[in-house]
Amino acid sequence: MTQAKGFISADDHVLEMPDTWTSRLSKAQWGDRIPHLAEGPGGAQHWMVDGRRLALPGVAASGATQPDRTQEPQRWEAVSKSAYVPRERLVAMDADGVSRSVLYPTVAGFAGETFGRIEDPALELACVQAYNDWIIEEWAGASDRFIPLCLVPLQTMDVAVKEVRRAVAKGHKGVILPAFPQHLRKLPHINDPAYDQLWATCQELGVPVSLHSGASTEMQYPADPTNSRVLAEATEAITRPLSSIGVVSNFLISGILTRFPRLKVVFAESTLGWGAFVIETADYHYGTFRLHLQGYDLKPSELFKRQCYLTSWYDGTSLEHTVRNFGANNVLWSTNFPQTTSTWPNSQQVIASCFANLAADKRRQILWQNAATLYGVNA
Amino acid sequence: MKIVHGLISGDSHAQLHRDAFTSRMSAKKWGDFIPRVVETRDKSHMTEPVDRAVERWMVNGQVIEKRGVANCPAIMTDPMRAYHPQRWDEVPKAVYDPLERLKVLDQDGVDAEVLFPNPPVQSASFLQGDAEYELACVRAYNDALAEWRQASDRYIPLALIPYLSDVKVAVKELERAVKAGHGGVLMLAEPNRALQGKENVFGLTGVSSTSRSVPMINDPYWDPFWAACQSLGVAVHWHATGGIGLLPPRWEKYNRAQETVTLLPCGLSVLSQYLPSLLFSGKLDRFPRLKWVCTETGIAWFPYVLDACDHEWERRHLWTEGVTTRPSEVFRRQMLVCFWFEKIGVDLRHAIGVDNIMWESDFPHNTSTYPGSRKMVEQSMTGVPDGERRQMLYGNAVNLYNLN
Repeated sequence: MTQAKGFISADDHVLEMPDTWTSRLSKAQWGDRIPHLAEGPGGAQHWMVDGRRLALPGVAASGATQPDRTQEPQRWEAVSKSAYVPRERLVAMDADGVSRSVLYPTVAGFAGETFGRIEDPALELACVQAYNDWIIEEWAGASDRFIPLCLVPLQTMDVAVKEVRRAVAKGHKGVILPAFPQHLRKLPHINDPAYDQLWATCQELGVPVSLHSGASTEMQYPADPTNSRVLAEATEAITRPLSSIGVVSNFLISGILTRFPRLKVVFAESTLGWGAFVIETADYHYGTFRLHLQGYDLKPSELFKRQCYLTSWYDGTSLEHTVRNFGANNVLWSTNFPQTTSTWPNSQQVIASCFANLAADKRRQILWQNAATLYGVNA
Repeated sequence: MKIVHGLISGDSHAQLHRDAFTSRMSAKKWGDFIPRVVETRDKSHMTEPVDRAVERWMVNGQVIEKRGVANCPAIMTDPMRAYHPQRWDEVPKAVYDPLERLKVLDQDGVDAEVLFPNPPVQSASFLQGDAEYELACVRAYNDALAEWRQASDRYIPLALIPYLSDVKVAVKELERAVKAGHGGVLMLAEPNRALQGKENVFGLTGVSSTSRSVPMINDPYWDPFWAACQSLGVAVHWHATGGIGLLPPRWEKYNRAQETVTLLPCGLSVLSQYLPSLLFSGKLDRFPRLKWVCTETGIAWFPYVLDACDHEWERRHLWTEGVTTRPSEVFRRQMLVCFWFEKIGVDLRHAIGVDNIMWESDFPHNTSTYPGSRKMVEQSMTGVPDGERRQMLYGNAVNLYNLN
């Protein structure tokens, strides 16, 4: 059965181009600090950002499009155009039955964390703005099948809020925020009221905030150094979503959802499997520690249902039990293109198998309606 | 052992008597470094400072549990379950006296308990001082806890092992402990991370006093130890975090209750991040009769990790990387997991494996089902057929620990 008009993939990644930043930032002002591709020894290339080498396994994270998906391209010429050329991306989407695609970055960080590490606020802002402009000009401009999300500068919330307003006015549909900015550089804890301006602005503009997994290596178990590279990358693909557990458990108790009851929060590349556990565990201990007597009027599960979304791409067992226990309102589905872990080009088969026991209305809700409502997409 | 109540706890905590170490370790050799209960007025030794003398466990010259002298809030009178006894004479006997404890087990409808540590043991180890000191503490602990088994066959004690000594010494200590009545071994998931001071998890402190490192747990260095566990027929146990941190950063405005409710979902499930390393290591294929148990981790997240490991195994052809058996098959063949409050986890039993699930009470810790274990079990077991119910509530434990 074709899903050509029925599937919004809620978490895919663009690959930024070698000139995404070099063509938008002043060489005279920033020189080599501008994000760019550099030549390494042995003919391999790598990305450099503000004098630091990016920790990508190649020049891209696009294993799904490579002849051997465990081998990331080491030079730009080896990257599949579907990673960075919008028209080619549309072809790849058609081949996989994806009608719309929500776009997250790669070089700017899977979770938008790269520029949060830049200490110089002017350079951080310039990099963020260049990315936000590039996505609108190159991707959203090419097709309304792309749903663009903007990055935010983390330096001060005055600047962040201004950039969110600018980006949303240009067409961005959501905001990507690293879950714990303090892990990137000296910044307040995410629970700090310093961020209230940002929550308020997103709530007012009706754009969801996306906390994509992988922003905090501090919360992710490093692969065993004695493992092979392939095993290490497989481990990393599993532990990255799991590092969002602490992000969700903190968010449910943080008070942010209570203070901003219309704010929507997307936990992207979270997977589903641990979600029910985290929510049931939080509810149980909310009871044993009597948090209802301490300023909370809703249980973690109630806050979750009102405002949060988990995003998955393959865990079918978990899909069924999540829907059985929490309904279908808070689940998004994706292909995670073009990463190695992606279901591309067999996403329809994976969907058929994962959704086999779900009623048609639940299926439509998860594959289309939840994301369509969140991002204001009309069929 | 006779099953009367039909309930075996795969994870409870035995408090050793305050004299357990001073009566077993040489005063001449170790003096004040022997783990013991001391009186203190120093407020830096108290999580909630008071203007009176309190008692605390001291190990290797350091106070190591600042909340109280025993961790047993479930059996204290505070309904918030936040109160830890501040002096030894407040500690209920059922916490440290094996015969008194049997009465409490009968009241709560529990046949038997697998015994994990309480203070002064932290995060499953005595990773302190030097190798000789660590070994002396471990031996005293194993001897003291073996007495619980001698008091009643309703107790299944778990041995600790030394990490700072050679693996041969660990094997010898395990053999000695099993002979004395221990029914399994409790380990840190990755002792090296604790040694390197990378972890700041529930109470694991004071380990920076040593600069040694031990081989990673997947290193073949440990193979003689896994071989010994397999041939002795004792399972390796991980408890809660297994000594791994990875928690969200502290938010200073949280009170203790808020902090605990935030930390528990990720602290309990953090071994989910370590499980792929175990399942991809090939260790369980090399030791196919070795059993591995995760306790106080909850169970509802396991199907995800199994799905994820299988997904990556297929996507990246991991059989070409030495992972010969599908990870979920290895899990079902050799691993067991424990639940205590979860309804959703029990609902997922077929995705985990009915043969792979045990119940636990976590007595006497604050999250414990005590004194309402029966009631809580009924809530979790709604709609579960009798045979499956018996398997999870005691049958699997009877098989694992040879309780027939």
